[in-house]
This record gives sequence, structure tokens and C-alpha cells, in this order.
Amino acid sequence: MHGVKRVGQSKEALGAKKQREQAKIKDYLALTDDLLSRKKDKDWSKEAFDLTTRLLQVNPEFYTIWNYRRSIMLNGLFPPSSPEEINSLLASELSMTTAALKAHPKVYWIWNHRQWCLENVPEGPGQDGADFHGWRKANWDRELYVVEKMLDADARNFLAWNYRRYVLASMPIQRPKVSELTYTTRKIETNFSNFSAWHQRSKVYTSLWDSGSLDPIKCQEEEFELVRNAMYTDPNDQSVWMYHRWLVGSGKLYITVGALRQLNSTAL
Amino acid sequence: MEGYVDVVVLGTGLTESITASALSKAGYKVAHIDFNPYYGADEASLSLDELIHWVDERSSLESEDANSYLESQKSQFISISRSASKLPQSRQYSLSLAPSLIPSVGPIISSLVSSGVARYGGYRLLERVGVYDISGTIKAVPGSKEDVFKNKDISLVDKRRLMRFLMFAAGEFEDKKEIDGQENTPFLDFLKISFSLNEEIAAVIAYSLAYCVSASDTTLPALLRIRKYLHSAGRYGASSFLVGHYGGSGEIAQGFCRTAAVAGGIYVLGRRVTAITGPVPQPISEDESTKLSSYSVELEDFPEKLSCNLIISSQDHVLPHLLPTAKHIPPSTPSSGMQPYSFIARCIAIIDRPISFSQQSSALETEGIEDSASSLDEPPLQQNIDTAVLVFPPSSLPGGSATTAVHVLITGEACMATPNGKWTVYLSMPLLEHSSSPESILKPYLKAALSLTTPSSADSSTEPLFATYYIQRLRCSPTPSHPFPSRASDPSSTVLITPPPSTLLPESSDSATINAEAVFRAAIHTLRYVHSTAGSANFDDGETESFWPAIEADPADEADEW
Repeated sequence: MHGVKRVGQSKEALGAKKQREQAKIKDYLALTDDLLSRKKDKDWSKEAFDLTTRLLQVNPEFYTIWNYRRSIMLNGLFPPSSPEEINSLLASELSMTTAALKAHPKVYWIWNHRQWCLENVPEGPGQDGADFHGWRKANWDRELYVVEKMLDADARNFLAWNYRRYVLASMPIQRPKVSELTYTTRKIETNFSNFSAWHQRSKVYTSLWDSGSLDPIKCQEEEFELVRNAMYTDPNDQSVWMYHRWLVGSGKLYITVGALRQLNSTAL
Repeated sequence: MEGYVDVVVLGTGLTESITASALSKAGYKVAHIDFNPYYGADEASLSLDELIHWVDERSSLESEDANSYLESQKSQFISISRSASKLPQSRQYSLSLAPSLIPSVGPIISSLVSSGVARYGGYRLLERVGVYDISGTIKAVPGSKEDVFKNKDISLVDKRRLMRFLMFAAGEFEDKKEIDGQENTPFLDFLKISFSLNEEIAAVIAYSLAYCVSASDTTLPALLRIRKYLHSAGRYGASSFLVGHYGGSGEIAQGFCRTAAVAGGIYVLGRRVTAITGPVPQPISEDESTKLSSYSVELEDFPEKLSCNLIISSQDHVLPHLLPTAKHIPPSTPSSGMQPYSFIARCIAIIDRPISFSQQSSALETEGIEDSASSLDEPPLQQNIDTAVLVFPPSSLPGGSATTAVHVLITGEACMATPNGKWTVYLSMPLLEHSSSPESILKPYLKAALSLTTPSSADSSTEPLFATYYIQRLRCSPTPSHPFPSRASDPSSTVLITPPPSTLLPESSDSATINAEAVFRAAIHTLRYVHSTAGSANFDDGETESFWPAIEADPADEADEW
């Protein structure tokens, strides 16, 4: 966690801890051996699937097992199932990984697995119109909600921000970019010591300026005002100066040199 | 022995209730009595009908020869008036005689947690603090870095100065050069001189962050309060304060009484004490060999007399004949750097439209755009606040006081204080002298607050549905000619009088807790002494009991919720 110091432990405490862990390690190694040999034997059964669940609860970073799990789904569980069953199987995958993310918010492989699940949601439930994307839309909306909860818990989780960009891009019905701007504003106002939020803002603005949806000059004037407020409130915060640097030196300088000079003279 | 308790506590006000709970949990047998048919005494939460009865009882002109309690109450609460209206759903109102804010860090919250009383009640985070501006609007109070950043009314340079002050106030300022020699200078002057803050910002800090009451309030106590509140921010949410459900203090007092009962305390409400005799040596063991000096307490319509070794009582509940030998426990913060106010004007009003606090507009024009997937959580233009504090600094209201601030607490349905669609407005203003009626003093402020409500219909008037006004006489602070006795003094006084809590909105509950601990320690000190003089125990006063017994951490508490 940000800004939390590690606490040293006494020799006795460490020794006791080691002993408790021995038993756990033995179980873990046995389970690992079992699964890896099943994988080699192309065991696509439900039993194997459940074993992967157990192992991944203990060690969600074991990406081989995530791969095996997906193979089991593709080869063993999906073929005999109807689209509804596949959808509900993936839904339960998503809720399982949600729980895993609460405990391990920065493990790439969990996010990765979610992406795979989302991408494999079948078309449906209906044949046409809104229904055609029904399941997908529901899943992507829920995905955005999950990401927002993660960011509420830790607004500086850069994996979550990256994932947010992926989700926004993947939604079958796109949300307007301006609403993303509002979201970054909200996060910045809550605590402007947040590189990721400022970074997101810069990306959104770049795309809006390039597409011609917003006027760069007006935007930049407002952004300089915002940044100045942040600088005067807390001159020591680095993320503000980084954003300022982007505003000034992005190579797409739309304001005049005169305005720059004025900024220099009032900055502390 | 039948009817024998260690302590009889008279009055279930917040201070007495905390004390009773601590003594019960420490193993002493406590009988806790209140003459009123409800808990809380002068801090009680009352239904509307109960409040009306309370008002009528104290404003009646009959003399109270036989009832010393009512006589004391009538000298404490004076110049009472109320509107004639009666409203339906009386039981859905919880109106507090002592409105209070609970700082998220401090004695009351620690005691609530340590005693387990916190589990009995609900608490709501204060949503907004606003300051009334002479232009007739409510301005936001910049109490944190986020507030300062977003505020559109403060210039950039002033933002820097304000942040400098806030960082100073939140840190260890006792040794800093800015405060050297300035402890007793007026806080407003200190802000303007040492931190170059302008008049307006200094007033906002003094009156709505430090809860000062006048321009002469001194620096050190104000800084200590600000630091406490700054450290409280963020613990449960952005605001530094919680507001208790069901009227706050009264409900909390009841919670402490409940834990006292669980630990073996006896509770009697709505009975008067008809006589207290003693102390005389009375046997306390079966073979009558050990005798302790005990009081004998008779209650009306109660078959048994209670025997006890110690009486703890509030000023109003005590029987007058005990006063000459009683020990008054000194209050925790006798003066808080403020003038010696003798009175406080109060108003409790019920309104049916919410007061609108201006939307804290962000630095960019982004209102109205839905930005969140969880848009159900946060209506973006919410202005109608349920739980808020509004401060009127001196001279902010034309026709109002030019010397004293008025603090207003608004609570609504979300605090379980009112039925749906109603809000309670509490106003209070300290007074040096009592020359005008409380209604004439406070009504202009109530009207100003009402003028800020969101009208619900074209013909809505700016009158409250119900209002009562009264003046509370404050018990005197110690003066040089009548100093309170020193704390560590003689343990032989077996009647202890509890001090009243502070009347300042964010200090009242904390002061009750600190006072309760002082009473608790004095009580134990005395009980041990009494037992030692009777030969039934050695006078071992070396070991200090902790205020609350240790609680075990509950592993089931850590469930996350999405």
C-alpha cells in the first residue's frame, strides 16, 4: 500500500511462522504436481477444473494454471453446453475473480483472465437489436462498475486505470469521451496527488482535440487555471508538475508565448 | 445484603451515564435513578410530545416547594416559549436538549468503542458545514486540501496562505515560533497577523473550523480544537464529525445505561427520591461484623430502601441537604479560552423543507454530465442536505449580533431524528447577560436559515412548523474567590456532583466523557477509602484502573462489502 512502512519481526516470530508454513507448502506442492500431470495428460474434466480453483485461491499468480483452466473450459466444459450455460459459467468466473481481486488487486493474471472471459461471452441472448449484445453489454457494464469500485478503494492503482481504458474501448456501445473527462475531474478533486488520474486526463484530451470535439485553446486555458490552483494549494505535489509539463511541452502548443510568460511570473 | 449497592447515581445525563457504565463494568454495584420517565436528563432525546411536556413543566408558574429537582430545572431553563401547534407523528421525532457533534477522534468516540456502546446505535457523517455570508448565501468552509483546491472564492495567493495555516494547525505547533507568546491573543488577530489571512478567511476559520464564539476567543484553545478536528477528518469519511441517530446524546446516554445494566446495574426511571439519610455505620455482611458508613435512599413507591456508600449526582438531581458536604468535580475545560458566558439562548424548530447548501462547484464546468457507472450512488446535483452545520459569524446577519456567533445544527430523517419530509433546526448562541427574550434573539437567524430552503410550493411560508425558544443558565465557572477544590483532595466526601458538559456543539460529548472519567476516578478513590476506614479492605490507591476493561477484537468484524 502507498506510504505504509514494513514492520520488522522478531526471530522467534519468524521461526514459528516458518513451521506453520511447512505443512502448507507440502500440500501446495502435492496439488501442483497433480495438476501439472493432469495438464500433460489433457485432463479436461470438471474434477480438474475444481482442483485449479483450489490452487488459484492460494496462488493467483501461477499463470500456467490459469492457462490450464481456460483450456479445460474450451475443450471440456464449453462444447457440451448451450450458450446460456456458457454465459452463466463465465459469469461465475467473473464473480470468482472479483473476489480474488479484492485480495490481490494488482495481479496481472486475474485481470487477464477476466479479459478472456469477457471476450468469450457468446452473442445473445436474442438474435437482433439490443438483445444481440445483451449478455455482452451487461457484462461490460458490470465490468466498468467493478473497475470503479477498485478505483474508489485505491485511486492510484495503475493496473485498474489501464484496465479501465480497455473496458471503455471494448464496450459494445461506447460511452461519450466527455464523461470520462468528468470522471477524472472527480478523482482529481478528491485527491490531486494521483499520477494516473492526470495521465488519463491527458489521454482523453489528446483524443478529443485530435477528433475536433473540443477546442484546444479554451481547454488549455482552463487546464492551466486548474493546474495553477493545484500548484498553489500544494506546491510539493509532483503529479501536478508532470501534468503541467505535458500541457506546456506536448508539442501541440496552442497558446501564445505571452501567456506562457505570464504563467512563469505568477508561479511560485 | 438486600438493597445494598456501592453507588447510587442520580440523573441519567450523558456524564452520569458514562460514569455508571464504567463503575458497573469495573465491578461496582450501581443503582441508577432518574426522576424523569426517560433517559438522558438535560441531554435527553425527546419525542415531540415529550418536548412539549418538558417545556410546559418548566415554564409553569406554580412554585415547586416539594420538588427540588423541578425547582432547579426551572432556574436552569428560563424564558421558555413555544408555538401552539401540535404535529402528528410525535414519536418519530427525536429532539435533543443538547445537540452535539461527535469528533471522529477523541474521548467520546474512544469510549463508545471501548465500552461497546457504539454497537447499540447508528451514526451519520456530517454532510456539510457552511458559513452564512452577509450577501444572504451559504459559503463552503475550506477545511481540507481538497476543499481549498476546489473553492472558487479564494484567490491563488490566499489559497497558499490558507494551506500554510492548515498544515501548521495540523502539526505540532506548540514549539513553533508563530505561537510564541501568542497563546492568549485573540485568535482572529493571530490569523491575520501571523498568517496574513484576510478578514473573511480568518472569520471562516475561527467561527466554522475552530467553533469560536466571539472575536475575543484566544488562540491556543482554538488551535487545539482545530487540530483535533483536522485529525478527525478522513477517519470515517471526509467530514470530521459524526451525528448520532435518534437525537445523539440522549440515545448515547441510554446506550451507556444499557451496558451498565448488562454489567449488573439497577435502573429506576420516573421515580422521585423521597429521602436520603446518613451516612451512618450499617452492617454489610451476613454476620453484621463489618459496618460501613452508608446512606439510606428512599424512593417513592419503592418497597426497599437502597443502601450505598457513595452518591453521585447531577446538580439538579441532588437533594439540597447533601450539598454542604458534597464535592463538586471540576469540569474538564472550565473556560476554553472564551469569555465567561452565563447563559445560552437556544431554539429547537421543525421545518418541512430542506435547507439548500450551494453546490460545491468544481473548478471545471462538468455538472450534469453522467460520468460514473454507479450513477445511482451519487446524484450529481444534490443540494438538499440532511445533516449539516451552518455558522453565522458575528455581523454576518443584518440585525443579528455583532459580537457573538450562532451555531446551527440541522438534522433530518437520515439521522432518525424526524419523519420523512421534516428537518430539525437547532440554534444556539451564548450570552453574557440575559436582557432580551430568546425568541427575539434567535428568530432572525431562524428566518435567515429558512429563507435558504428549497421551496416546495408557491405559497410556502418562511415559518417553522413548530418552534420552542428558551435560555439555559450555565453553571458558574470557578472564580478566584470560589475556586473548585483540587482534584487530588480529600477522599472522604461521599457525595460527588458531576459538572455539566460544555455547550459548544463539537465539544459537548467529549467534555461529558472527560468529566465522566474524572468522576469515575474520584468515585473509586472514595470507595476504596471508605472500605479501608471500615477495615474491610486496605487502602490501596496506587493502582489506577483503566477507564474501560479491555475488549477482545472480534474477527467477524472484517467483512468487506461491495
